[in-house]
Amino acid sequence: MKKSDKTNHLIDISFKSAAIKDPLKMDDTVAANYRGYVILDPDKDFVLKDETGKILENSCPTHAITFQNDGSNLKIHLDNGKCILCGNCQVKSPELIKITNKFNLAKKRRDDLIETFSMSVPFGKTYDELGQELKSKINKIFGRSLTIREIDAGSCNGCEIEINALNNSVYDIERFGITFVASPRHADILLVTGPASKNMERALKIAYDSTPNPKIVIAVGACACSGGIFGNNYATTGGIDNIVPVNVYIPGCPPRPQALLYGILMAINKI
Amino acid sequence: MSHKEIIRKYYSKLGKFDSDIKKIENNNELHLVLNDPNKLHDFCKFLKQDFDLRLLTIICCDERKLNHGFKIRHVFGSDADDFFLFVTIFIDESHPHFPSLYDVFPSSILYEREINDMFGLIAKGNPNIKPLILHDFPNNVFPLRKDFNLNDDVKRNLKQFEFTPITGEGVCEIPVGPIHAGIIEPGHFRFSVLGETIINLETRLGYTHKGIEKLAESMSINDVVFLSERISGDESIANSVAFCQAIEKIAKLTISQKAKQIRLLFAELERIYNHFGTLGGILADVGFPYGASRLNILKEQIMQLNERLSGSRILFGVNQIGGVKISITDEMLIDIHFVLDDAFQIFEKIFDHLKSNPSVMDRLRNTGIIEKQLARDRGLVGISSRCIGIETDARQTHPYGYYPSINLKQKTLRETMEHQVELQKRIGDVLSRFMSRVDDLRQSKAIIDSITTLKDDGLSMSMNDELIPYSSGLGYAESHRGETLHWVMIGEDNSIFRYKIRTASFSNWPVIEHAVLNNIVADFPVINKSFDFSYSGNDL
Repeated sequence: MKKSDKTNHLIDISFKSAAIKDPLKMDDTVAANYRGYVILDPDKDFVLKDETGKILENSCPTHAITFQNDGSNLKIHLDNGKCILCGNCQVKSPELIKITNKFNLAKKRRDDLIETFSMSVPFGKTYDELGQELKSKINKIFGRSLTIREIDAGSCNGCEIEINALNNSVYDIERFGITFVASPRHADILLVTGPASKNMERALKIAYDSTPNPKIVIAVGACACSGGIFGNNYATTGGIDNIVPVNVYIPGCPPRPQALLYGILMAINKI
Repeated sequence: MSHKEIIRKYYSKLGKFDSDIKKIENNNELHLVLNDPNKLHDFCKFLKQDFDLRLLTIICCDERKLNHGFKIRHVFGSDADDFFLFVTIFIDESHPHFPSLYDVFPSSILYEREINDMFGLIAKGNPNIKPLILHDFPNNVFPLRKDFNLNDDVKRNLKQFEFTPITGEGVCEIPVGPIHAGIIEPGHFRFSVLGETIINLETRLGYTHKGIEKLAESMSINDVVFLSERISGDESIANSVAFCQAIEKIAKLTISQKAKQIRLLFAELERIYNHFGTLGGILADVGFPYGASRLNILKEQIMQLNERLSGSRILFGVNQIGGVKISITDEMLIDIHFVLDDAFQIFEKIFDHLKSNPSVMDRLRNTGIIEKQLARDRGLVGISSRCIGIETDARQTHPYGYYPSINLKQKTLRETMEHQVELQKRIGDVLSRFMSRVDDLRQSKAIIDSITTLKDDGLSMSMNDELIPYSSGLGYAESHRGETLHWVMIGEDNSIFRYKIRTASFSNWPVIEHAVLNNIVADFPVINKSFDFSYSGNDL
């Protein structure tokens, strides 16, 4: 210990005695605002929109940024090989583009210089837009109302609450030409909930057989899709599709009215 | 009075049966074990006459591995004290019979039928042992026995259910269900009518039986909370609170004040959105869509509030054992008060409108009347009993959670008198149930209003180490339908040995058969809606 203390002391003295600091050591640090490595680092609640993508694409003088929109996915490609570190893009969209002072840019392959950020399109349609789309489709296909018969095959009544909500004045599904009818004989669509309890198996089959062709069966809720938390036991059958053929599955526990409407729209698109 | 004092008070009166019984105390539960099952009948008669207890439920449990027999616990409750009395008898497998209590407590018929279905034990003397829950099930298979496997594929044989034949000149039968015309749960109603008038109704339920009690035995305790939420979707808070409280009682866990407050807030929100929905449903069934629409908008507003608070429109995923998962911040509390103030202002306007609308009041008044004696005999709870002036409310008789800390504004003498007069008008018809729900709504609002500051002592406690095997506890809560009881017995390795659920729907369902008598068929929907029972909560 004592020996090492002594040596340290000696070194200290030698530094103090040095007149000029090592010039290389002084310049070792990189300034914080140095424009070095451009990365795509979105903020927590950043949403990539069509317009932002286009603005970014146009902001780049060397076309290092390209924007793609294929309907379901929005993609931003950033080619660091083309980037001249002008910083234009960061000014346009500071939520997505971050310019760091890092310099570890080198890559072994050319393709690795291209960074990609993709975002699936957030489901932007409102309940109303969905409904209007549905309405025009129903008009085209049926020329009249679409009729739905709801069948509870053992649900906990959570899904029923949401299906009932479709009929309240807030969601008011009837304005889109959809009616809930009292008998399967009048129905185009069967909306089935519940894990299909064994006690309801026979009734469900009879209701399915009484529905005129062509008919669509929609399984509503996690229980109807798979048996849900109840699974497949002595009293349940583990999903509607074990009893009748299912065309569309709407998961959720329970699915909210918007989700139900989207499922019905999907079922119509299947025709 | 503390629980110990209450128990001593009751126990001291049991002098003449002293030699026959063994006493075990557990919190507010007193367990009495009768040595001789044949003495059960006399003992229960004594309980009814001297203690004025009511039968809450009968719990059967297959304890053949532990005690070489089945244990049947008759649970009694008092309207006056926070006290539960368990009277236990042993049934040997070789003699699968036990005495029926149908002539002392008529409500026992239902529980005995259930035990007959699920355990194959026959209640001697019970006049009605038709299958209750299981349809087309073989006679020798009993799902809740321990030797039955949850996933056993039971071969069902289509059997004709025997409805009581009602015959006579001009008597017609109308079968309704299991799939109903509206968007509601399945159940079968067999009406016998003379002209328009219903002279008999027999219900056959069990269509939504999902094996919940058996399923719980295969799940971990924490997962069963999710299962309990799905006993009946609209009672998710009440059921999960009852289950969590049963486990917390067994674990001797005291949850934080904040968790209690949050449970209470969500429980009352649940009550409010469901009552709005039911009142709307009643109005829709009497052909007054204006009122129905307005009330359903209020229901939707509360459901959207639920979503903002908990992430679920029907409040799934709030509770966990030892507390809650969802926190309520001060801003959220302001949101709750704001939405409720707004909703109730509108509600009172709609209510005034309804009261002055003769076409509505006329349909509600004198429709679907039940008698007081019937309500007592059948052990009705919740709105169904309050509509005839019997005040049963688990929040008051068995205060749980944060309810004991709630200080509602004291009523003035005048208000108390007015309330008494109002109660005298309750004759057990649809209007009385309508008014009881309105009362309940206002009370819920007052309870939520009384919470202005939130405590700050954590959301959840973790359950320390293992629970004692074969210890049991009764959890209870007041759902918007009434008193909900969950009895849990813990098995080895923190598993569930037996989970018995008695929702308010189960004890109340049979009353519908009486309420519709002498009414016209067209009034059945509104009578049914005024009770608003859960099919799923009944069938489990």
